[in-house]
Amino acid sequence: MNVLISGGCKNGKTSFAQDIAVKLSAGGKRYYVATMIPYDEEDRKRIDLHIKDRANMGFTTLEIGRDISSCLYGTNGTFLVDSVTALLLNEMFPSSHSGEADENAVKRCIEGLLKITEKAENAVFVTDYIYSDAIRYDSFTQNYRKSLAAIDKKLAEVCNTVIELCAGNVIFHKGGIVL
Amino acid sequence: MDFIIGGAFQGKLEYAVKKHKLDDSDIFTCSENAAVSFERKCIYAVQEFTLYCVKNSLDATEIFRNNRKKWKNGVIICEDIFCGVVPLGADMRAWRDMTGRLCAYLSSEADSVERIFCGLEQKLK
Repeated sequence: MNVLISGGCKNGKTSFAQDIAVKLSAGGKRYYVATMIPYDEEDRKRIDLHIKDRANMGFTTLEIGRDISSCLYGTNGTFLVDSVTALLLNEMFPSSHSGEADENAVKRCIEGLLKITEKAENAVFVTDYIYSDAIRYDSFTQNYRKSLAAIDKKLAEVCNTVIELCAGNVIFHKGGIVL
Repeated sequence: MDFIIGGAFQGKLEYAVKKHKLDDSDIFTCSENAAVSFERKCIYAVQEFTLYCVKNSLDATEIFRNNRKKWKNGVIICEDIFCGVVPLGADMRAWRDMTGRLCAYLSSEADSVERIFCGLEQKLK
């Protein structure tokens, strides 16, 4: 079973995804694939909160900022990829967060993520919904939004279940899962 | 009229083209620099037209209401730009408000309303 979870910020997506991953794994191996590469103290605090939140849930943490399908080497079970948003950021801007965007980033992300949907017993993907506000973004940001949307749409196509979290409430856009 | 809303890059136009078998000549794409035309079956990117209205002190909802006959059997597509935080700039605030009001009007007039999320259809009406 493959599940895509999207929605706005600070919505409970990660906690919800963890619960789903635990359920899907049915006692089997489960991996938390952390894609965020910390750059400052704020990032590190955020990561610490996530680590505390999933303590005692039986996840093995894999820190993988790029080349996402490498999480499959020597592993098998249920994978929670958190998040597609951070993965794309790392793949688009490999050297630092400024500079030119790597135009092959979307292709690499999609190939890697699709490999996970094919090979893993179960996968849960967390992404961010960043598409509905009244801002005229610069071309840099627009390119990033468009790229993330391309990955989201591909994942939504191949996943059995697509969920939007809205203020902690669950909207099923595709499939379903007994919670 | 079929009203299609959703976020940026979510696949709204692709959905409309497939569902209504549209080709390029059926689609009018709005611009922030020009008035809307009601002569084609599908009016796309209505949020650009509402920005044009803000810049030219026009009321988008009134313009649509006055031309209801022309679009009542058509397809209208708009980005739901009114979900995010209130923008700091007065023009952007007016744009957001005007788009929200127009979408509420178009939803009420529509025979069907869909929201497109990651390329998937969510039936709203």
